[in-house]
Amino acid sequence: MTRLIDARVLLLLGLLVTALPGELPGQETAESEPMSRPTAAQLEFFEKEVRPILANRCYSCHSAGAERIRGDLVLDSRAGLLKGGGFGPAVVPGRPDESPLIEAVRYDDPLFRMPPDERLSDREIEVLETWVAAGAPGPPDDPEAARPGGAAESLSVEAADWWSFQPVQNPDPPEVRDEHWPRSPIDRFVLAQLEANGMRPAPETDRRTFIRRLSFDLTGLPPTPEEVEAFLRDEGPDAFERLVDRLLASPQYGERWGRRWLDLVRYADTSGCNGDFPMPEAYRYRNYVIDRFNRDTPYDEFLEEQIAGDLMPSDSEAQRRERVIATGYLAISRRFSSVAEEFHLTLDDTIDNLGKAVLGLTISCARCHDHKFDPIPQADYYALYGIFESSRFAFPGTEIYRHPKDLVPLVDEDRLTTELQPYLDRMADLDEQMYATYPLVEMLDTGKERDAQRAIFKRLLGERDELLKSLPEFGWAYAVSEGEPTDTRIHLKGDHERLGAVAPRGFLTILGGQQVPAEEPGSGRHALAGWITDPENPLTARVLVNRVWQHHFGEGIVRTANDFGTRGDPPTHPELLDWLASRFLDQGWSIKALHREIVLSASYRMASIADPRSAERDPENRLLWTFNRRRLDAEEIRDAVLRISGALDPSPGGPHPFPPVWEWRYSQHKPFVDDYPSPRRSVYLMQQRIRLQPLLAIFDAADTNTSTDRRKTSTTPQQALFSMNDAFMHEQAARLADRLSAEVPDPASRIDRAFRLALGRPPREAEVLEAQAYLDAIDLALRDAGIADDRRPSAAWSSYLRVLLSSNAFLFID
Amino acid sequence: MHALPNRRQVVGSLVGGSLLLPGIVSELLAADAPAPRPDDPLAPRPPHFPARAKRVIFLFMTGGVSHLESFDPKPQLARDAGRTHNGRTLLGPQFRFARAGRSGMAVSELFPEIASCADDLCVIRSLHGSHFEHFQATLGVHTGSLTVKRPSIGSWVSYGLGTENQNLPSFVVLAPHLPYAGTQVWSSDFLPACHQGIRLLPGDEPIRDLKRRSPSEAVQEMELDLLSRFNRRHGEARPSDPLLAGRMRSFETAFGMQREMPEVLDLSGESDATLALYGLERGQTDGFGWQCLVARRMAERGVRFVELIDSGSSNNWDSHGAMKDHIPRARSVDRPIAGLLKDLKSRGLLDDTLVVWTTEFGRTPHTDGPTGRSHHPYVFSSWLAGGGVKGGTVHGSSDDYGYFPAEDPVHLHDFHATILHLLGFDHERLTYRYSGRDFRLTDVSGRVVREILA
Repeated sequence: MTRLIDARVLLLLGLLVTALPGELPGQETAESEPMSRPTAAQLEFFEKEVRPILANRCYSCHSAGAERIRGDLVLDSRAGLLKGGGFGPAVVPGRPDESPLIEAVRYDDPLFRMPPDERLSDREIEVLETWVAAGAPGPPDDPEAARPGGAAESLSVEAADWWSFQPVQNPDPPEVRDEHWPRSPIDRFVLAQLEANGMRPAPETDRRTFIRRLSFDLTGLPPTPEEVEAFLRDEGPDAFERLVDRLLASPQYGERWGRRWLDLVRYADTSGCNGDFPMPEAYRYRNYVIDRFNRDTPYDEFLEEQIAGDLMPSDSEAQRRERVIATGYLAISRRFSSVAEEFHLTLDDTIDNLGKAVLGLTISCARCHDHKFDPIPQADYYALYGIFESSRFAFPGTEIYRHPKDLVPLVDEDRLTTELQPYLDRMADLDEQMYATYPLVEMLDTGKERDAQRAIFKRLLGERDELLKSLPEFGWAYAVSEGEPTDTRIHLKGDHERLGAVAPRGFLTILGGQQVPAEEPGSGRHALAGWITDPENPLTARVLVNRVWQHHFGEGIVRTANDFGTRGDPPTHPELLDWLASRFLDQGWSIKALHREIVLSASYRMASIADPRSAERDPENRLLWTFNRRRLDAEEIRDAVLRISGALDPSPGGPHPFPPVWEWRYSQHKPFVDDYPSPRRSVYLMQQRIRLQPLLAIFDAADTNTSTDRRKTSTTPQQALFSMNDAFMHEQAARLADRLSAEVPDPASRIDRAFRLALGRPPREAEVLEAQAYLDAIDLALRDAGIADDRRPSAAWSSYLRVLLSSNAFLFID
Repeated sequence: MHALPNRRQVVGSLVGGSLLLPGIVSELLAADAPAPRPDDPLAPRPPHFPARAKRVIFLFMTGGVSHLESFDPKPQLARDAGRTHNGRTLLGPQFRFARAGRSGMAVSELFPEIASCADDLCVIRSLHGSHFEHFQATLGVHTGSLTVKRPSIGSWVSYGLGTENQNLPSFVVLAPHLPYAGTQVWSSDFLPACHQGIRLLPGDEPIRDLKRRSPSEAVQEMELDLLSRFNRRHGEARPSDPLLAGRMRSFETAFGMQREMPEVLDLSGESDATLALYGLERGQTDGFGWQCLVARRMAERGVRFVELIDSGSSNNWDSHGAMKDHIPRARSVDRPIAGLLKDLKSRGLLDDTLVVWTTEFGRTPHTDGPTGRSHHPYVFSSWLAGGGVKGGTVHGSSDDYGYFPAEDPVHLHDFHATILHLLGFDHERLTYRYSGRDFRLTDVSGRVVREILA
């Protein structure tokens, strides 16, 4: 092995080896036990032979002085060498074959080669091997010259002081100079900051604008002309309160705000695997979410049900089933690939979503290493991972195992045991056989044996399909249930094949660090739900009230609603956020009470204005001196157009007409792709992960693959083309024209009706004249275009109405 | 480049004879150059340093083209064919290689026409970093991410450079069939939606809603005029709102696109010689030759990134059973690709257009079906041509059987870093802040392959 090393080095090595204790230190030593002091000869060897190689070939990327440290690894200190980077310790003293540094320089693994530009010489490699074999002796680190990586510890102390990890306060609303303006304590927080900056809130908006704003905001639909007029005429002192209560009580409220929750939890009706397999039962979870918003289920209970509903006690069989369905939240986590081996990515998606949607934290940044910016060690990530790994997720099927399994039957105990159990047992038995057979099919190279196994697999699958067809009628939930409780081992650098220390199941250190009690029998999901919904948890309530605020005002108090960590934006009104959060807790986690509080404030009644002076001082409107104008989102555009044309079916949606399971042959070659058109509200349209619903995609629909905390508002030529040329717009405008001509015979009144339906206001006189002139002119143009006499009036109206429904006045809310 | 009719001529010609009221069309006429506003995310902007290429034509072969039968000759594999290696039966190369060009580059007989352009190609034989499944590997080649969805390379380029022609999308995808991973392949993901690839299909309506549905141009112009008046009145009461103004402008762009796109797709002005170069019959509007010629026309008109996908998630290069299944696939792309390279070159466009030819992975040196090969992500071949790369060169190599990189491995991140470099970007600085951190195409790695830069 020392063939290339010259005699002088050999001499040094001799000294070195004899100077060391005969016993080679193991892996444990690397982390815990300090090395004995190196001898002078060892130091000389290190400085003359080892350090030059490291300095010339490694330090430019792996030292404290590197312009950018790669892979979290520094090699210019003992601590750095022994702590290593993402792959764990760079050297294991005494064990060159187990040291990633040696593995890398040997260039044996084409994908793990260092230095990347050119291999070390054979001699250099031997020096490093010899050095590691001898225990990697070197000088101790100078404590003064701490590597920048050492800053991680100090950063985490700072990060722990970050505002969002501090307990929620209950501040008193501040004093303001203008005592007349505030309608709610909320307004005092807003006004105090405006006054402190020498600014004024915008004047109150008119009632027409307000009812249009509030109706879209709470229900996603425009107010009817009758609703507008009734509100304008209402002189009662509580006219606003009654309007708010009516909208909050309407079933459309849950469809609107449920959709916002579905954005956060990246709801879809397909799994996201390579064949994008349908999840036909997922709709039950969607409807559950809508129902919970309508019932104003306390938010803590809503979260508990979604994380551990199957483990909660229930008052009735109906409630038990709903709570099982609720865990669809976890079950709809994204699927990857065509095989089951990539399930760790699904669990990562679960943790990522729980972190962002519920806690406002980017926990999944700690999958491969400690979080770079927030106080979340990697062990915390795997503490959560263990909880979900101990649960059984419904399986949607994939290209390879194309049959769904582990769904939860929605039947009572009696029927389950007496009637269904034999079927389910047989199905589980078949599943087990299939899972045992498939790897054989794959492993065997060619030949008869493989064909034989393939035939067995096919027979089992056929039998399973027949069994499925013969099942008695009952429902399934795409849900989770308890699995085998196990603590998981940390995946080094996020690689599930390189395992490190065990991470006991528990919660984030920064939020309490509770562990699943050893005596608790299950996965720990129920305990987790309790930690998350603990009123002392500083994040859960703050994150939720910020979301509600964001949807009402267009911007959150924290503008990065999914990231309350140190990389997120700090709150514009920190006391207001805490006041809202503590009030939310006082009112029993009621989201409807929170809406009421907010939309009845003077802040929410501000007009949307352009004020150059305020715009110059606060161009982003962080202090809230005006109401933020907004474009309707994708669902609002489609639903409002359908509502106005009269085509909207207001009834709740059910399951989608997916083909039966036994016909599924989806693969990455021929993934499931379909549309199920429906006149119902957009929340009920079938949503896929391999591509967005085509119409909604044009107007920035939520990504079904990752948590969406705010919709983008893009302006693209594709949207303009949609208004000009899409069949949907042409059909709905024609339908509206028919509706109007049937309902309103007089053309002038028809224009009035159209404006009231689309914009919530009557037309001005000039607008009526413009419309009449347009209808006359377009009639000529239509005649020139060859449109027959009998079709022209309808075509002319349709043209006019389509323009109205494409206008900014329709598309934007003031 | 072609002398294009200016904006006034185009708009003027379409207005001629109609009974237009003053409105959107007069606004169009007022602005001769469609100067994008500075706040427009698609306004052209300079890269980090002077670029070698201004645009990219990205040729993606779906299904996994065998490196062993295309650009990476393996005489040792031929000699050891039929032997067992690690329990698998080695399959010798199923096609012959011949030396081509002055460079003497070895190219398989599957690609005789591309071989005639060998001196313009820079072949990389040591590409790796892919995944063994089509879906993930396809995403990896496009986004640098094998698992979760990320912005496509075309979206990154559009984000970095904007576009030169506001009437056309900055990132166009000509994909007659949906590839693996569907539209995620050209998704802008967290980048602004204007950087999304716009898929163009052969046929009557190449882009959704591109075709005028109103019964005549005159009717549509009146509709746009009325809309413009609605929006202007609405905007006057709501001054200085960029969203409202932006939406008004978007109708101008859409109108421009509705005019210009059919013109780009109208090949009637191309000479017989040009059509022959691409292997196209006059009047033909499909096939890879059509895609390639349209790509040249897009490149001429300032489209920043044109991606051509030759086939879809079935009937592609995925030759598990027999390597001879590569023959029809190769036949359908060989002449068009060579035609594109020659045409770009003769028009002087190849100097600042980077042409990239790639696939999601190579194929195994051992058999799968009797004479076919399975997926092989550990090493495969791709090539670059034009804008700033050394033609007639081969970079990197694989081992004797073509299992792993042997010399100068090039990771997909390196491949992407190099493409961005040629466009004038430091790939580490082309970033976008999302979810609390700065993301980039090359994740946390990537090294520019300087050896192949001209």
